[in-house]
Amino acid sequence: MSHTPTAAYTRQEMMAIATGREIRDGELAIFGVGLSMLAGFFAQAHHAPNVRAMTEGGIYGSTPVGGLPWGIECNRISTNATSFTCGLDALGCLVGSGRCDVGIIGAAQVDKYGNVNTTGIWDGEIGERYRAPKTRLTGAGGANDIACGAKRFLVMVAHEPKRFVERVTYISSPGYLEGGNARARYGFAGGGPSAIVTTLGVLRPDPDTKEFRLDAWFAFSSVKEIVANTGWPLKVSPTAHLVAVPTAAELAALRKVDETGALRRQ
Amino acid sequence: MPPPKLIALPQAVRRYTWDGMQYASGAALPIGSDAVVFGRELLRQKRKNLHAIFHCNSQQLNLLAGAGAATKAECGFTGLEVFGFANGLRRAVESGALALEDYSNLAMPLRLLGGALNWPFVPATVNIGSDLQDRSAFAPQEFPARSKIAAVTDPFSGRQIGAFRPLKPDLAAIHVTLADPLGNSIMLGTEWSRFELSRAAKRVVIVADAIVEEACIRQFPNLVRIPEIVVEAVVYWPFAAWPQSSPGMYDVDEEHMRFMNQALATSEGTRHYLRDFVERYSDVESYLDMIGRERLAQLGQTATAFLLDPYRRWIMPAAEVARLQSGVETR
Repeated sequence: MSHTPTAAYTRQEMMAIATGREIRDGELAIFGVGLSMLAGFFAQAHHAPNVRAMTEGGIYGSTPVGGLPWGIECNRISTNATSFTCGLDALGCLVGSGRCDVGIIGAAQVDKYGNVNTTGIWDGEIGERYRAPKTRLTGAGGANDIACGAKRFLVMVAHEPKRFVERVTYISSPGYLEGGNARARYGFAGGGPSAIVTTLGVLRPDPDTKEFRLDAWFAFSSVKEIVANTGWPLKVSPTAHLVAVPTAAELAALRKVDETGALRRQ
Repeated sequence: MPPPKLIALPQAVRRYTWDGMQYASGAALPIGSDAVVFGRELLRQKRKNLHAIFHCNSQQLNLLAGAGAATKAECGFTGLEVFGFANGLRRAVESGALALEDYSNLAMPLRLLGGALNWPFVPATVNIGSDLQDRSAFAPQEFPARSKIAAVTDPFSGRQIGAFRPLKPDLAAIHVTLADPLGNSIMLGTEWSRFELSRAAKRVVIVADAIVEEACIRQFPNLVRIPEIVVEAVVYWPFAAWPQSSPGMYDVDEEHMRFMNQALATSEGTRHYLRDFVERYSDVESYLDMIGRERLAQLGQTATAFLLDPYRRWIMPAAEVARLQSGVETR
């Protein structure tokens, strides 16, 4: 990777590039709509040309045309596909089964074990009796299936204290649950979250406890800023480091994918 | 040859729907193929207390929930993708007017498949171990809930897994791109879970953007994933998924997607929306006028239009469809 000085870029762009760097060439990958798709197709355009990408609706072999798709079954991603199948096929045969190498999901809240809430925001604990959230969000969608089935998954989330909580109020998609080997109780096909990539840096799980620690910060952020924006006492990995700034080639590839500039709006 | 099953939309809703029923649609992703116009007609006929089964929320469920016609819903994803949160559904859930039972996007087709196969349950290796299993809006007193996704033992490995409850909705209104007058249907784009849904539902009404001659079906039988033997009736309604998209036919109407979702955020906005976009038309032609002919032409200029090319020569003119339909109605 060259370190040519690069033009200004946004935090969202850095997050998308850092996420895309986690995708390796040739992998079977599933991207959701929005940021996740931009990060994934950036990887394909830049360093992973042979990534085998699918959407959870069962669109294979396609790349977005005319801008960021409005949805994962959108016409913008249906113009150059090689196969259309169905949700049962994509999320079941290829993801829930354990075949998919990597998925990217978003989060409204994420906790120190990488559990994700996209269902709702409650005023305090839900309590013994289930009750409707104060603010209803989008629900689990395919993220739960990716979290259970993909060999590894990445969480992309804006780094704000309200989003980084000790324990999510509602687990929509399981990370490492209570930590350690808790996932083993359910025999999930997938291995769990390998990284949380944020607008400030990258968190990775401790290999034993599975508690997420600060692994890397961006040129425009710092350990201090990341710790201050995390709602649990964030541990810092002994190998914590600065993430390389985007190269000109990376930014060019990302901006080609993000042709409507979704990530450039601050 | 069996008689055609073409009927008018109001007649389909009168004949196959009732208050309190389990109504399924939305077997497509939130901004794509869905029989949105069927939901508009449910509201025109004042159906209420609907138990909605939608693989994903769409503008149809957003509208039914926002208008207070649905009191229960089971869903995987409940947003509108890049268009944001579904304000009508959100308002209904937050106010307690609608109980929303959450699953994932794989759980819903698996449950439909279970219903289609008449299985007692479907093994669950996803949704377990999360609050999708432990919390139930339909049985809020249970914690951890086990009447929703039960805990069962795999008889072969001894491992603890989950059991999904199969779905058999009373009716599925399924949007397709093309159907022949009997209901043999071709879907362009991903089918999402329309295959499973068409077998799980007790009755199926097809809502098609275009009607094709039988010869089209015989040319592409591999692509006919919904055969007429599971279809009760066929409704011809161009732009039936509007403001959502129908691959090969029309793009998403971005402006109306936003306008509609914003309207559904308040009860007043919803009242106006119902007045202007649910009650205002009387037939297909006035529905198309309501959207605006110029806008329809724009939406039809989709980059996916080439997907429709192999089928175009068999698309029946509206007048011919009307002639066949009137034959059915006078019989």
